[in-house]
Amino acid sequence: MAEFIIMPKQGLQMTEGTIMEWLVGEGEEVIADAPLFEMETDKLTITIDASAGGTLLKIIHGAGAVVPITEPIAIIGEKGEDFSGLLNSIGAPAAPSVVAESVEPVQTEEASVGIAIVKAPRTGRVFASPRAKMLAEEKGIDVADIDGSGPEGLIIEKDVLDYVLNPAQKTAATPLARKVAELENIDINEIQGSGVRNKVLAEDVRSSASVSQTPIQLVQQLDEELIPIKGMRKIVAERMKQSLGEMAQANHRITVDMTNSVALREQYKAVGRKVSYNDIVLRCAAKALTEFPMMNSSWTSAGIVLKKYVNMGIAVAIEQGLIVPVIKNIHLKSLDQISKESSELATKAKENRLQPEDYSGGTFTVSNLGMFDIDGFTAIINPPEAGILAVGKLAKQPVVIGDEIVIRMMMQLSLTYDHRTVDGAPAAQFLKRIKELLENPMLLI
Amino acid sequence: MISKERKFWIYEIMNKIRYFELKALRLFEENKLRGSVHLYAGEEAVAAAVCSQLTDDDYITSTHRGHGHCIAKGAELDKAMAELMGKETGYCKGRSGSMHIADFTKGNLGANAIVGGGIPIATGAALAAKLQKNDKVAVSFFGDGASNEGTFHESLNLAAVWKLPIIFVCENNGFGISVPVAQSTSVENISDRAVGYGIPGVTIDGNDVFAVYEAFETAVKRAKSGDGPTLIECKTYRTLGHWTGDPQTYRDKKDVEMWRDTKDPIQLFKKRLVDAGDFTAAELDTVEEAAKAEADAAAEFAINSPNPDPADVMDDVFYEA
Amino acid sequence: MSKKTYATAIRDVIAEEMRRDENVFVMGEDIELLGGIFGCTRDLYKEFGTDRIRNTPISEAAMVGAGVGAACAGMRPIVELMYMDFTLVAADQIINQAAKTRYIFGGKAKIPLVIRGQQGIGRGNAATHSQSLETIFMHFPGIKVACPSNAADAAGLLRTAIRDDNPVMFFEHKALYASKFEVPDDPDFCVPFGKAEIKRTGKDVTIVGSLLYVSRALEAAAELEKIGIDAEVIDPRTMVPFDMDTIIESVKKTGKLVVVHEAHKVAGWGAEVVSEVVDGAFKYLDAAPIHLGAKACPLPFNIELENAVVPSVQQIVEAAKKVCYR
Repeated sequence: MAEFIIMPKQGLQMTEGTIMEWLVGEGEEVIADAPLFEMETDKLTITIDASAGGTLLKIIHGAGAVVPITEPIAIIGEKGEDFSGLLNSIGAPAAPSVVAESVEPVQTEEASVGIAIVKAPRTGRVFASPRAKMLAEEKGIDVADIDGSGPEGLIIEKDVLDYVLNPAQKTAATPLARKVAELENIDINEIQGSGVRNKVLAEDVRSSASVSQTPIQLVQQLDEELIPIKGMRKIVAERMKQSLGEMAQANHRITVDMTNSVALREQYKAVGRKVSYNDIVLRCAAKALTEFPMMNSSWTSAGIVLKKYVNMGIAVAIEQGLIVPVIKNIHLKSLDQISKESSELATKAKENRLQPEDYSGGTFTVSNLGMFDIDGFTAIINPPEAGILAVGKLAKQPVVIGDEIVIRMMMQLSLTYDHRTVDGAPAAQFLKRIKELLENPMLLI
Repeated sequence: MISKERKFWIYEIMNKIRYFELKALRLFEENKLRGSVHLYAGEEAVAAAVCSQLTDDDYITSTHRGHGHCIAKGAELDKAMAELMGKETGYCKGRSGSMHIADFTKGNLGANAIVGGGIPIATGAALAAKLQKNDKVAVSFFGDGASNEGTFHESLNLAAVWKLPIIFVCENNGFGISVPVAQSTSVENISDRAVGYGIPGVTIDGNDVFAVYEAFETAVKRAKSGDGPTLIECKTYRTLGHWTGDPQTYRDKKDVEMWRDTKDPIQLFKKRLVDAGDFTAAELDTVEEAAKAEADAAAEFAINSPNPDPADVMDDVFYEA
Repeated sequence: MSKKTYATAIRDVIAEEMRRDENVFVMGEDIELLGGIFGCTRDLYKEFGTDRIRNTPISEAAMVGAGVGAACAGMRPIVELMYMDFTLVAADQIINQAAKTRYIFGGKAKIPLVIRGQQGIGRGNAATHSQSLETIFMHFPGIKVACPSNAADAAGLLRTAIRDDNPVMFFEHKALYASKFEVPDDPDFCVPFGKAEIKRTGKDVTIVGSLLYVSRALEAAAELEKIGIDAEVIDPRTMVPFDMDTIIESVKKTGKLVVVHEAHKVAGWGAEVVSEVVDGAFKYLDAAPIHLGAKACPLPFNIELENAVVPSVQQIVEAAKKVCYR
């Protein structure tokens, strides 16, 4: 039996994914557990393996298409099998909801169909076959009340007959809307439709499922370029806006004398082990977090959730944007382990190989822009965390010690914290503790 | 020998044809007649001498230059002229016009506007006669141009193989529209082609009634005795253009005048009849006047005849029992 | 009833009609001792002699033209063309002469002429000997066109054709000659022209096909039944006159139409059917009709290629499913 392959939901936050590339062509064999397609989701590109074998009968959404989760993206089945019924059941198959200029070279002809074209909103006109119209007229039914099951929602004779048999079907909805409602487990009768005569559209179901699916109107001037808001950009934007919108963010800064940390790093180096300054910062922050649990909490509607573990997020800049892989249980890990893991995660991030578990579940984040020669900066908290530590560059600075001006390796730390959870003084103490640990790394032992 | 009675008939037919054609030309010039009208003037000896030996039961097929054959095969001038004018009273109820004119009831299987188109049809009529063993013959009239069509060659072969009672009468008037025969045809005499099909072929003066008559008489005897077809090439000349309005840039006006003034088949025949004492010039003048009057009357009849009713346009596509 | 092959049914009708009417005779290539390359005149010369079962030279224009002339002169000729592709060699005699003679002579002529022969795929005869040409002769008023799909229709339609006073183009199909069918023994058994046959009744989709495509449409219908689609299959049997009414009535019932023929799709007669059905049953249509025909490509020799050019049973099934939104 032919069946749909849907846009898989990869983690709680995901609402839609961008298909980057089909690794199996239409008509080709799909091998169970072998890579089937690549998609760009929340923050990165994932290769999705086939859950079952068969033949890829139809690619509904080609490379570049942004598809809401659970929506069909392809049909798999037996070679030569008829899948027109399945295709018809979701209405217009050819036009993806949004097709953007794809990052990857266009792979299939279908994918080149729509360049930066918006989702076509359903127009007011109702299409019905002549026979369906004739029958509806005979039965005294307005065809606009009937769901069309034919191609592109065409109302056919069967739809009229079904309507006659089942007039109780009082909620008018598109077949796609019904499908989405079924997949999202939502009662379609409780949704207010926005279509003609309040017909429930797929969009209505998605917004009802807190899945935002705003139709985008693209107006493009000749000397402007329009970059569709999608994938990682969209998620980053939503997160940052949510962060600043919901939290009461405040900021402290402190300057740290890194001379001893530099010495520590040199000692490691001397025995052939490689740790970065950032690793040392991570280790110190982790230790400080165990001592200041409020800095390692989340504000929720139910209350403040204190976490007895520290999952440290590390902000990594990648080509597509920003990603925050997480070192789980960092408070239990040695500097060596932290160094190893952070370097692996950074590599994976840059190679788009992060799996959802690699970048989820963080409790605190460290963001370092020292490599860009930034003295210090204010970071925005990665929700639902309570704080973020921004790390500036490490540089020799003239410092007054006693009455002398000496040259020391100095670094600026900036802590952004959620004032709803943490007040200024404890936040200051927390930051001071990190400074203390960095200036006296033997305390880590 | 041609009987006196038959000579009179031939003379009468030749005049009817001539005045019919001249009247048709006049009507065309007066814009009372439309379409392609190919006139037979100058070639009357062939149709008249041939058809004088046929009955209504014998078959002919004709050409785009078919008025002469039609009249010689028994058509009345008024109905023929009415057909030229596309009238309901015409032989073909205005469906045919000049190029397909025929009185089908007189054994005329039609003028045929496709060059060479009628030759196989006459061959088939001859086959029918042979199968029905009814002593009928078929005659296919065609021009020099048709002798270069495949149907000519296929039909001569077929008729020869089957020894059909058919006479192939080629009216060689020297031009296929504007192209002289020598430029289009590989043989000096078209009758030479008979050799290729193992049948007799003769070339005669097509403006000489007696020559045509005798050659045809021999051919009919051969046909009726079951020996098969004969190809008769009648060298003649059309003294008018290929069609009404032909500028005739392709031929010398002096030639036309020479043929018209010294080789006119009617005048030649008239002289022979008078010289032989068959008829007086005055008697023959009467025939001429009568033909002229008949043609004028035919034009009147045609002009005064109704047009066919467009409501009937679909009639006769099929025979319906 | 007797079970006969399509070829035998044709031969028997020719013999019966020749016995019945001495004006009936046959001419064609290789029809005497050889009996025609498909045996449709086998041994008939023994009974009727070689005047009436008459070998011709390979001169299609002269043969057909002689048929026209003989018909004008009171005979009822049957001209056998070895391949109906050769109608094109004789096209002037068919189209300009046979078809038009009655009309241009103001209804005075009768042309009781049958031009018969076989056409189509199935024997690897390639581009010039495998065409399906019934469509082109439908275009010219004045000729009737018959397309029997089985031995009984071949017998009944041929008898009607021979007794008709109009020129009839009788298109047999080479792949059907060996097929057997119950044929009525009645020596006056005629199938009227212009009367389609509903080969299978159904309520979901109307499939129209002729010649070889009647059996293919029926095969498709059997496939469709397995998935719950009840197809009605109609064989028009004659192309001129064409029984559009039966098809329109069927489409009024089913709301869906698939027309399939072996003739090329482009401007093929299926397009005419679609046009007439849209005109005559528009409001009854539940789906856009589908027209299937041979690809716009000469018929190739290789059997795989040949099969690739003409519609398959599977394509008929797919088309029917599509119009049924399945």
